[in-house]
Amino acid sequence: MYGRLFKTELLKIKRKWVWFLIFLGPFGVIAMETLNFVLRYDYLTKQYAGHLWGGLFQAIGFLVPPVIILGMAIIISILANIEHANASWKQLLAAPVRKRQVFLVKFALGWLLLLVSCVLLMIGALILGLALGFGTDIAWKPLLVTSFYPYLAAMPILAFQIWLAIVYKNQGVALTTGILASVFSMYGVVMPDWVPLAWPSLQTHWSNPVMNVWLGIGLAFCILMIGTVDFVRRDVHSG
Amino acid sequence: MSFLKTIHAEFYKFRKTFTWTVLFLSPIIAGFAGFFTYSRLSDGHPSKPWMLIYSPMATIHGMLFLPLIVGVIVALICRYEHLHGGWKQYLVQPVRRWQVYLVKFGLAAGAIAVIQLLMLFALLAAGILNGIDHPFPLEMVLKSLIGGWIATFPLIALQLWVSTAWSSFAAPMAINVICTIPSMLIANSATYGPYYPWAQPLLAMMPNAKSAGILFVSAETLFLVIAGSFVIFFVGGLTFFQKRAY
Repeated sequence: MYGRLFKTELLKIKRKWVWFLIFLGPFGVIAMETLNFVLRYDYLTKQYAGHLWGGLFQAIGFLVPPVIILGMAIIISILANIEHANASWKQLLAAPVRKRQVFLVKFALGWLLLLVSCVLLMIGALILGLALGFGTDIAWKPLLVTSFYPYLAAMPILAFQIWLAIVYKNQGVALTTGILASVFSMYGVVMPDWVPLAWPSLQTHWSNPVMNVWLGIGLAFCILMIGTVDFVRRDVHSG
Repeated sequence: MSFLKTIHAEFYKFRKTFTWTVLFLSPIIAGFAGFFTYSRLSDGHPSKPWMLIYSPMATIHGMLFLPLIVGVIVALICRYEHLHGGWKQYLVQPVRRWQVYLVKFGLAAGAIAVIQLLMLFALLAAGILNGIDHPFPLEMVLKSLIGGWIATFPLIALQLWVSTAWSSFAAPMAINVICTIPSMLIANSATYGPYYPWAQPLLAMMPNAKSAGILFVSAETLFLVIAGSFVIFFVGGLTFFQKRAY
């Protein structure tokens, strides 16, 4: 049942510019860093001398948290608004599916779409580094950390966004929340470690950033469960 | 007469929807940021205590929040008409299309002005709660807040164009985000920063001693970049709106 639901959801995002945005996010980040490094090549290669790849990942990593959080808000809003715009929640939920499944499949699709954009970011970062002549001595672990950790640490926001976007028909609510989260995510350094919005920046005081990822996944799971239970009980059409 | 009624109707819709709550978010957050930055860094007696509070406030507000919230406010202002064929009902009233467009622009600009005013109150509150007794640098703060406000005009104009064009909320937001994110890098560049419209809210709000002009952006930036892009986006949007079939 999940498989078939997933296929219908995949069909619904055709011609909604979703795939374009999923591509544009990482492409935009890489394009900006390309300009940054091309325009200031001498200055930046001197500053990052000895760890050019690390410097590149650091520069990319600065942009990733706000971009991925805004990406989440927009993509999730599109997924939810497909049903709001056509007033098709009733139809969808009248089909022989469980409400729980509908909610979880929407989340799963959003999660996978953004994961694809992270993979594209990783490929883009590799190509950029090679094109800039940083050599083949690639720092693989920092590459993976830069590409995927901020996203996984930001998963609680994704879980919250899907609930907001579905429960509140006015997408301004979900998008405003996304904007707030992205602004906060840039100030991870100054926030206490226990604030979830500080996790995507990976600038918490824990020795290993994998801590941010596990906490993110754990909290996302809790929020997703609460969101699902609430959605199942709620009359969505009036929202 | 119809002009006044249009203003009244727009204002009514603004009050009766969730839109107005958005105005308070950034001033509250920036106020807290300013308050805590000061209490953390002010050991000893800083020579410019108000600046110590205001600088983080202006950065957190101007870099992402202000340009992005413009998109939300404009989309919310157009939302009511996009629902249930509201445009058709609205435009068969004895009002001119350009009047509707102008009033919606004015409402959005007014909303941003209220945000900037609330920023002033947030700064005052953060300063008073920290017990600052230095004279308040009113001229600097007003220059910054008014500059930031004017710098959003081209952004409002573009968002109004795309928000009247598409009923979906996500499309105008995506465009807004795509244009705003690069300013995170571009605003740092002394060479390219002054030419990028989306970097102007931040640049116009950052107080700098060098700028002797009326605002914290140079006259070239003000007239060429801000006014220029405003005219292009506003005329483009209005022309499109005049011909648009709903």
